[in-house]
Amino acid sequence: MTTWAKPFTVAVPDADVERLHAKLELATFPDELDGAGWDYGVPLADIKRLSEYWKNTFDWRKAERSINEIPQFTTDIEVDGFGSLNVHFVHQKSEVENAIPLLFVHGWPGHFLEVRKLLPLLTAGSHDHPAFHVVAPSLPGFGFSEAPGKPGFAGPQFAETFNKLMLSLGYNEYVYQGGDFGHIIGVYVANIYGHKHMKGWLSNMPMYRRPTAFSNPLLFLELLTLPFNKTLRDRIAAVQHLQTTGMGYFNVQATVPQTIGYSLADSPIGLLAWLYEKLYMGVGGYPWTEDEVLEWISIYWFSRAGPGAPARIYYELTGGNSHDLFEGTTWTSVPLGLAWFPQEPVRLPKSWAHMIGKVVFESDHEVGGHFAAFEQPQALVSDLRKMFGKGGPAHGVVPGKDGYQ
Amino acid sequence: MSNSTEQPFVLAVPDDDLALLRKKLDLVRFPDELDDAAWSYGVPLADMKRLVSHWVNGYDWRKSEAEINKLPMFTRDIDVHGFGTLNIHYVHQKSEVKNAIPLLFSHGWPGDFLEARKMLPLLTEKSPDHPSFHVVALSLPGFGFSEAPKKPGFAGRQYAEVFNKLMLSLGYNEYVYQGGDWGYILGLHAVTHYGHKHIKAWHTNVPSVGPPKLLSNPLVWLSSWLSSSNNSSQAKHGNARNWRTKGMGYFMEQATQPQTIGYSLTDSPVGLLAWIYEKLVTWTDGYPWTDDEVLEWISIYWFSRSCPAAAGRIYYELTGQNTHDTKAGTKWMSVPLGVSYFPGEIIPTIKAWSSMIGNIVFESEHDKGGHFAAFEQPEKLAGDLWKMYGKGGPAHGVVFGKNGYD
Repeated sequence: MTTWAKPFTVAVPDADVERLHAKLELATFPDELDGAGWDYGVPLADIKRLSEYWKNTFDWRKAERSINEIPQFTTDIEVDGFGSLNVHFVHQKSEVENAIPLLFVHGWPGHFLEVRKLLPLLTAGSHDHPAFHVVAPSLPGFGFSEAPGKPGFAGPQFAETFNKLMLSLGYNEYVYQGGDFGHIIGVYVANIYGHKHMKGWLSNMPMYRRPTAFSNPLLFLELLTLPFNKTLRDRIAAVQHLQTTGMGYFNVQATVPQTIGYSLADSPIGLLAWLYEKLYMGVGGYPWTEDEVLEWISIYWFSRAGPGAPARIYYELTGGNSHDLFEGTTWTSVPLGLAWFPQEPVRLPKSWAHMIGKVVFESDHEVGGHFAAFEQPQALVSDLRKMFGKGGPAHGVVPGKDGYQ
Repeated sequence: MSNSTEQPFVLAVPDDDLALLRKKLDLVRFPDELDDAAWSYGVPLADMKRLVSHWVNGYDWRKSEAEINKLPMFTRDIDVHGFGTLNIHYVHQKSEVKNAIPLLFSHGWPGDFLEARKMLPLLTEKSPDHPSFHVVALSLPGFGFSEAPKKPGFAGRQYAEVFNKLMLSLGYNEYVYQGGDWGYILGLHAVTHYGHKHIKAWHTNVPSVGPPKLLSNPLVWLSSWLSSSNNSSQAKHGNARNWRTKGMGYFMEQATQPQTIGYSLTDSPVGLLAWIYEKLVTWTDGYPWTDDEVLEWISIYWFSRSCPAAAGRIYYELTGQNTHDTKAGTKWMSVPLGVSYFPGEIIPTIKAWSSMIGNIVFESEHDKGGHFAAFEQPEKLAGDLWKMYGKGGPAHGVVFGKNGYD
């Protein structure tokens, strides 16, 4: 099946921009406890500063023009049981004809623009490293993609959407990069379309199930070394802290996404706080500018399906919080690369990543957090080049497209 | 007794606040919704659209306000060790029966002082057939029209101190207590610190306590282990199961990041409406909410003295940001305790375990009613208090000289 992609430009209606400003004019702020800092959530001073900037200084039309310099398209994808979904995506081809087709998938609260800084680096041709043709969609329900209309759009459906997208562009075989839900969906893509279509992938948030005595006895036994293994202890402590204090949003979105949706759709500062908490806490010191933050939040505010829709991904992928995110998936032998960033909040023991798939590449970075493509584009591109380039463990996985002239 | 700072309280929301609410409602933007979602994903869009439309076109806040102002309401300053002075709002309705039993009623979240409203005539009326009470129903600090604490750490001990100082300042050296939701947990804290000396007996409609541990409660553990699967009316009803499996998000968020969710709740009346309305429906037992009742309830939060964000902090403070149980710092006390079981109660209660809470002298089980028992089933709850404290009842005469009858 071939569908023709239509060029797409972001063009938020004037009325929507005006309504945002009208709401910001009426914004009412809560109080805050003395000395709260970040202990109770996003500090009041941060929200006031960002809200003022959004109202008075941030220029959405300027941001929009800049976004529209990136080649974007939409196409209709037929998803079994869900009818046709109009999917928005970036598609930047390299001048290298045999560049490796790469599918880049964002997560929550991410969006398609996380690929932006990677584009010039990934598509550049050179003797020294491979080039890529890059496809970066908005997840259904996010950014400028249509949202599914019915319940049950879960891992297999996201995987189906993206596989069909690549096929529709003539990329019968491709490689994949993702973190956050981009990683989680990557597990489904590897499970369902691995080898046949998806030939290899790199994750910057390697996460899977916990080892049990039956599923992974050796990894399970490793946990017994905990008292003697400071590295392992530190990583587990980090995740336990996240579990204890940082999972409120997960629980809400996995059980009552519609309820929080009313807040997120109606209050720009409510949406700002909900997302900025993650932008700040996930990065370990990335020097966000106001423009960067507000452009990011604006993508959610002006998104096609509205800010209420993205939260549903938590519900659908966990069955309303009744099972884990990887339902129905298992280990696959599709070549897997792991990019470890030190400030990634989901810092599970590294040995557990081997339960995901056949690890052929690993890299350890000194700097960077959850939004690796945005924070450390050079580092992530370097990983992709090493993994898929000449001499690399996944060189030539896509026959006829090894990334060189 | 120090100089009383008590002032009569008249609720009078400024016109500007009403105008701002109206402006925000006029700018409402709704999210989308999945086909046939009903309540599976949260509050249905149709409910929200109807309620918002009524809020704009039909609901009359000034009428609600006038009715609320018929209640005898006051404020006074209460000094809390380490937190300075908090101005506390309360209803104080005395009975014509001079020896009526002083009773402190505490609400929870997302409750408010008005939950006592329907019980007031029942509790204060004079009758040869049942005892009478002088009722004090406060707004918890940070809720309704009480001031909010300004610093971190305002937890069980501090709420208990407010309760006790309030009752003492009203001349009630000895009193009884009733509460559900946080009213239950704070009751545990209050009884721990002021039980026997000041709190002579108490009652809760949420007698919830964790599984007995073999070493600390061997007999209770054994009996619950031996009993067949829990066949209680609460287990059959479904509200409690739904709360455990699908209804804990608000708790997790407010216990860990109350400020973050606070921005939405303070800026968007529609966001606040959804966040609370979800509980009003899913925590009650078929209560036939009218739109006016819902909007009045939400308005108490919207027009609260502090801001809607302040109330959620109680989850954070009482759990140490989700690191310990809400009951930490309390102990089993032999102060007489009455418990009532309602089938639609969301917090799991197991009769066999209730004796671990306190010295149970009264138990009652109902076939109707949910989490907001005083609001949904005022006759049943008041009836329980009548039986517990009335002549021949297990807690009759606990307050010296004030047995509820003249």
